[in-house]
Amino acid sequence: MTTSLEFKEGAKLPTVKKNITQDNINLYAKASGDFNPIHIDADFARDTPLGGTVAHGMLILAYISQMMTGAFGRGWLSGGRLNVRFRAPGRPGDVITVSGSIRRVEKSEGYQTIDCDVLCSNQNDEPVITGDARVEVKDNENRG
Amino acid sequence: MVKKLEYQDLREGQEFPPASFQLDAATVADYLKAVEEDNVIYENSGLVPPMAVAALSLKALINAISMPPGTIHVSQEFEFIDAVSTQDTLTSLARVGRVQERGKLHLITIETSVLNQQNKAVLAGKTGFILPVE
Repeated sequence: MTTSLEFKEGAKLPTVKKNITQDNINLYAKASGDFNPIHIDADFARDTPLGGTVAHGMLILAYISQMMTGAFGRGWLSGGRLNVRFRAPGRPGDVITVSGSIRRVEKSEGYQTIDCDVLCSNQNDEPVITGDARVEVKDNENRG
Repeated sequence: MVKKLEYQDLREGQEFPPASFQLDAATVADYLKAVEEDNVIYENSGLVPPMAVAALSLKALINAISMPPGTIHVSQEFEFIDAVSTQDTLTSLARVGRVQERGKLHLITIETSVLNQQNKAVLAGKTGFILPVE
């Protein structure tokens, strides 16, 4: 689904909320081919400094991409940029809220360049991923 | 099975062997289920979520390097240059960007690019890892 977001500075991007479950982590391991035991082996993970399994950073990053696709449609698929830092692990049981806002809009002939701040935080309001995103949207682009 | 490169042996500018992959409809369906993505843009369009392409390009990387327990994926940049469809055959290229040793940690960045069957870039990325010095 693509929202009817107005491209103006300060506009909030449509929030995405996700529950991290071990089932999702296992599915992501299968889909991505990343079977690092820190993600999928509870016995192994218990004895590491993390104390338990954690979600793939790329799984949580996919939620940001999901938010951007919802806001900008195909423009995100062929003109999106992400630059993020992983601040804390996402764990099974966490509720991740993905949010963002438009920081800057630059209008050019036939398209707009939109810079956004993006954030994934957990249920304790701790940042899990922080960063920024940029997307170029053509003026006549169908965002659906 | 190809022997993995030890991370201590990585040198700036070192290139990894190209890895080809395809994201067929079943793989994309598994990915969409895993990330709980239900955007209609992917329904019957053959379009592949850009982060699925990114994940598969990193898979090639993960399979190529032996990293110690305690390795942390700290940063990530992606540029989604062009849309990818399930018909595309992709090739992932990767090279070592920076290698730094800071105290008991190694900082390594890997630069990746993904090309389609027309040799056109569809994705570029930069991945940052912190690894404990063993």
